[in-house]
Amino acid sequence: MKTQLFVTIITGLVCITAIPVAAKAQERTLQLDINYSVNIPSGSFKTDAIDKTSFRGWTANLLYNITDKISVGLGTGFQDFYQKYPRAVYKLDEGGEVSAVLSNSIQTIPLLAQVQYRFMPGSIVQPYVGVGVGGNMVVYDQYLGEFDNSKSSFKFAARPMAGLFVPFRKDGPAGINIYGAYNYMPYKSDGIDNLNNWSTGIGIKFPLR
Amino acid sequence: MKKIVVPVLLITGVLALSSCRKDPAKNLSGDETLIYITNHSDSVNFNSFHTFSIADSVAVISNGEFMGKALTGVDAAYINAVKDQLTQRGYTLVAKDQSPDLGITVSRIYNTSTGVFDYGSYWDPYYGSYWDPYYWGYGGYGYYFPASYYGTYSITEGALSIDIFNLKDAKQTNKLNNIWSGLIRGSGVFGQANAAGGVKALFDQSTYFKAS
Repeated sequence: MKTQLFVTIITGLVCITAIPVAAKAQERTLQLDINYSVNIPSGSFKTDAIDKTSFRGWTANLLYNITDKISVGLGTGFQDFYQKYPRAVYKLDEGGEVSAVLSNSIQTIPLLAQVQYRFMPGSIVQPYVGVGVGGNMVVYDQYLGEFDNSKSSFKFAARPMAGLFVPFRKDGPAGINIYGAYNYMPYKSDGIDNLNNWSTGIGIKFPLR
Repeated sequence: MKKIVVPVLLITGVLALSSCRKDPAKNLSGDETLIYITNHSDSVNFNSFHTFSIADSVAVISNGEFMGKALTGVDAAYINAVKDQLTQRGYTLVAKDQSPDLGITVSRIYNTSTGVFDYGSYWDPYYGSYWDPYYWGYGGYGYYFPASYYGTYSITEGALSIDIFNLKDAKQTNKLNNIWSGLIRGSGVFGQANAAGGVKALFDQSTYFKAS
């Protein structure tokens, strides 16, 4: 019994000391993660413009590991939201009515300063949380039939997120990245208060040097 | 080298995803491209009119210029569709010499936008660095492209307009007041198959337009 306890303690100590050593391997490295993303509109975005889930998008983060737990860098992405509404009659601002099939097409391209915190560096599954704050390029096309009214704007964006990093091999710097995020995107234009949306994604993370 | 290939391939793949924007214009079918616009005078009581007459041909207007009258199969289809809709709404078709309350005209409107491609812009002034004249055995020579290397393009957009005028009160007002206009725009507007449905859509969204 005593021998078993001794072995367990020794094994535990070895594991504990091994983790930081392994994690050190990730320190001071520049890493890129690229992910396929699926986004679900919420709030005013959902009620006033598009309620359909977007399956056309990606995110990418270029992060520098300043310690084995903390990374800072840049995050960007692209998401295409689209919805076609059946023919309906709309009142025109200048008087009169127009009957049209209305299509809303919105692309969001955020550029964010990012920080991430890993909870269990060196383990097989590494949970992390992060936040990105920055700007958001919004391209909004509203079609009446085939006639396009296009406008672009640059707005604020923030992206709190949580995810898991699963290395391909133990202690390796490359692996699978899975995350969930909330895109906070104020808009306040064209009768839409915000373009807030939930996002989930999967991709890979690998070191650049 | 191997280290760089994988990331480059991945980045290329991801950027390719960004071109996966769903094109709303290409995702329209049938008459979904068409829009129907109506305007009317708020001060007019449409119940006060009982008869109408419609011009027997269509005016063709191209880039603001009157090109003449026409009566193609499509024109006839639109004229007949207007007659049907007004009759269904309680108005009586009469000849234009029988003092109709309403006078109706139909016009085909074409607007052409043109532009110029400058084919020269791709070669000037660096063509010699793409294709060094030395290759032809003429090192130190320059290339010359004729200045007339331009291409033009034009896009013509068509619309069909139906205008209804108050003839009943013309003598008092000394004007032919427009009381209602309907405009159909979009691809296929001059397709015969779209005439009846298009005109019906214009009048369906003008619920106030009825004789009783």
